Amino acid sequence: MKTSKRTLLMVSAVAFGILAVAHPLAVSAETAARWSAQIAKVDAGEINLAPSFQIAIYEHLLDELSKTKQFKTVLRDGDRNASNVADLLILKTTVEKYTAGSETRRAVTTVSGATKLTVRTQLCTRDGKILLERTVNGNVRFMGSNLRATHNLARNVAKAIKKSFLPEPASPSLSKEMGSGLSDDIVVVEFR
Amino acid sequence: MNYTDVPCYRRPNDRVLGGRLFGAFLVLLIASGTAARAQGASPSNSPLSMPATNLLGFAGVRDNAKGTLSIEGDALQFQQSGKPPAQVKITSIQDLVLGEESKQVGGTPMTIGKAAVPFGGGRAVSLFAHKKYETLTLEYLDSDGGFHGAIFQLNKGQAEGFRSELINKGARVSDTGAESTKQTVEAASENK
Repeated sequence: MKTSKRTLLMVSAVAFGILAVAHPLAVSAETAARWSAQIAKVDAGEINLAPSFQIAIYEHLLDELSKTKQFKTVLRDGDRNASNVADLLILKTTVEKYTAGSETRRAVTTVSGATKLTVRTQLCTRDGKILLERTVNGNVRFMGSNLRATHNLARNVAKAIKKSFLPEPASPSLSKEMGSGLSDDIVVVEFR
Repeated sequence: MNYTDVPCYRRPNDRVLGGRLFGAFLVLLIASGTAARAQGASPSNSPLSMPATNLLGFAGVRDNAKGTLSIEGDALQFQQSGKPPAQVKITSIQDLVLGEESKQVGGTPMTIGKAAVPFGGGRAVSLFAHKKYETLTLEYLDSDGGFHGAIFQLNKGQAEGFRSELINKGARVSDTGAESTKQTVEAASENK
């Protein structure tokens, strides 16, 4: 009898623990999943970064953010469908620091030749309000090609977004109802 | 006993004639074989079709996929063996940039092998176990106006001709791409 009670207590404690940990995560994921994201082209700023690196960061960001399932849809820069998406966040990435590495040097010396990238990443609303701002690094120190740094960077950006809390979308969404042949349009504003 | 009188002086001439005929036949055979090989090899050497690796980004093709990059009519096509080709309209290409990169050859088996060499001998192997490639970075728009980037790895000396051909067929090139057609990523770091 004593043993069964103890087991029951332990099981309920474990279940409570799991719920306590899982619930906030689920809530945060649920909140984020209400947003859609559009990835803007990578801005190299003053840094002399090869176009291949900019493209690689951009493409890896699309991949990694889609994998996290934090957003309803992940759209590309310039995608015309973005105008129909109600709660859209724009991910802007600006390169702050870049150290060109060498795969050969890494293989020969182990300690030198690392490729390092530092970017400032911002999640903004359509009207330019910044909801999230982080500085993220991506490096290749030992094995892998130089472009691997862009993959690591994108993964770190996705992780940073996943960890952070995004507010619920509160922007009023506009829906237009066209009048039946009349000159005046009726505009309905819904506040959520 | 019927003997046919054959002059003994004529026998060597016949042999010589036969030998000459056989020699001529051999020469013809080799020549036609060489011509056929040359004809067969010409499409792969032409600037319109070449072996390439999609490092990342080309729509409908997985990263690091090997195949043949070619120009088919008004489209840029990447064909993997046994799979349907992936195509992009050449007129949708917004920019083309060439680059150069040096990569370690042999992949993971080679890396493990190098690690197994005693007294750090693997590092010495790394000095010679790398190969230079050219990269072709292209930016293009999809049917929704979404921005895409793709990076192809080509054998050395092939990318320039291919780029020119794409420009002739209607691909656009930005000012930066035209000015710095060759961006050396690895070489710059190795010269330090």
